[in-house]
Amino acid sequence: MSRSGPPQSEPLWGDFPVDGSAATSDGSRPPDWALPSWDSIPADETEPAPPSPAPAQAPARAERAGSDAAQQPRPEPAGGFALRILQVSEVTRAVRDAVRAEDGLRDVWVEGEVGRVTVSSAGHAYFTLKDERSQLACVFFRDDRLSSLFEPRTGLRIVVHGRIDVFELQGVYQLYVAALQPAGFGDLALRFEALKARLAAEGLFDTARKRPLPIRPAVIGVATSATGAVWHDICHVVARRWPLARLLLSPCQVQGEGAAASVVEALERLARWDAQCRAEGRPEDAPDVVILARGGGSLEDLWSFNDERVVRAVGAHPVPVVSGVGHEVDVTLADFAADVRAPTPSAAAELVVPDRAEMVAVLRELARRAGVCTARVLAGGRAEVAAEGRGLERLRPSAQLAQARERAGYLLDRATRALRGEIGRRADAEQRLAARLGPVLAVQLAARRAGLERSSAALAALGPQATLDRGYAIVRRRSDGAIVRGSDQAPAGERLALRVARGEIAARVESDAGAAGRPSKRGAA
Amino acid sequence: MSEQVVALQGVDVDSLTFDEALVELQRTVAELEQGGLALERSIELYERGVALHERCAGLLGQAELRVQRLLERAAGQLAVVEARSEEQAD
Repeated sequence: MSRSGPPQSEPLWGDFPVDGSAATSDGSRPPDWALPSWDSIPADETEPAPPSPAPAQAPARAERAGSDAAQQPRPEPAGGFALRILQVSEVTRAVRDAVRAEDGLRDVWVEGEVGRVTVSSAGHAYFTLKDERSQLACVFFRDDRLSSLFEPRTGLRIVVHGRIDVFELQGVYQLYVAALQPAGFGDLALRFEALKARLAAEGLFDTARKRPLPIRPAVIGVATSATGAVWHDICHVVARRWPLARLLLSPCQVQGEGAAASVVEALERLARWDAQCRAEGRPEDAPDVVILARGGGSLEDLWSFNDERVVRAVGAHPVPVVSGVGHEVDVTLADFAADVRAPTPSAAAELVVPDRAEMVAVLRELARRAGVCTARVLAGGRAEVAAEGRGLERLRPSAQLAQARERAGYLLDRATRALRGEIGRRADAEQRLAARLGPVLAVQLAARRAGLERSSAALAALGPQATLDRGYAIVRRRSDGAIVRGSDQAPAGERLALRVARGEIAARVESDAGAAGRPSKRGAA
Repeated sequence: MSEQVVALQGVDVDSLTFDEALVELQRTVAELEQGGLALERSIELYERGVALHERCAGLLGQAELRVQRLLERAAGQLAVVEARSEEQAD
């Protein structure tokens, strides 16, 4: 109560711009409870008091300041010490001034539970804040309310920052809210930072600790709730992208009391299973990677993922861990300890498996490279055959050269057959695949098939036909189809098939060749 | 070349897992691309490559996601039970 006379309260109006700005006359109805509606106050009523105080005010002041004789700087009207009857507004103003003069009420932080909330048509929120013994009327003006992260909601425990003032029109005091936030929020944030700093100092979040993820995990452990959208989403993503994998759910409770312990247990179960599979000599059943997932929620909902036990269980897990907790903006300490942090559960699933469509493209590229190489080798073979052919023309044909030529021709023949057969088989396989992977892929596969057919045509051109065209023949025994490489393979009477450039000739060996190795077959068309 | 890769050479293609077949296909193509091979070896590799490709594509096309649950029985015994994909109700 250190302030002097009441009219000096005037400069204080500068502190309360809301009084003027909120005093609109948009004709809206006041809220249906006892608190004032600023919307309904005519502007003139909220104007500052006139410089010269109403005559009645001085006695009111005198009375109030009775215990402090030094505080009577203004002259009292005649008869000022006489007992007189006060106007309502005089009392209210006196209370207002007293409240405003109290430093302890000008900047307050109040924690309590939100009672009834009313939002006026102008967008101001009126609510009560209460504890076991008392309640406090609060006003949250539109502009502050709209820029606030949190809304007052009935039942919510909040901390409010603002000032206490009196609304004269209705003769009530209330808390004018500047900002509010859920109770315990600051506390949680502090605990988060403290634990984060401590674990970081231990090196738990070090980049050097991060393990690479397997490229194509066969078994994926998932620690999450067995009920709910998260588990379903993960199944869906993996079924679409990489159905070769196996999902192993280690169910746990992800919210409420005991969630942290349950998550730790689920992670430990996966760790034990990993050890058991390896000990029993079936590492193929052990998880290659673990997803720790939970859907979005409030700060409190996600809090178990900031629990030290959970963070340590993630950091110490024998299998690389991918975390996908909450939404993109939510970051928990478990995220820091994980080998990889995914923004959401679905993103975690996407991240741990390769994409089936991409793998088909990789396979296609490998097949193309194999085809290119083989075609090149075959082209080399053809050049060799051609060189031999020229050699034969220049020199006397030798049995060895003929054999080499025949061998090359045979291999070319086999390669051509292989390619042709493969086109058929692959067409079948890829048609099956295309039916599953959809029309987009089908277009790609069709292009690949066209490519294969082209290379097959090229290979056919390299085949023995080109050689036969130049006048060579392939000699086979009719009895078993074996190619005749030496005269000893074709005794007298043996029936032969001579494949020439156009068609085949049936022939019979007339006489044994003997040791001379001289050609002794004679055409018998 | 790792032990695993060496071990896969000459193994029947149809007995390989996807990963084994893919690794073997990659190795086969790499050997082909290295060049300097006899014609017979080239064709052998090519034929194996084709078979491996078919194995991979087949596995990829036919695969169906397996879903299991890891449960803890009494006395801390772990057990894995099959669950149906997309049908995880308790």
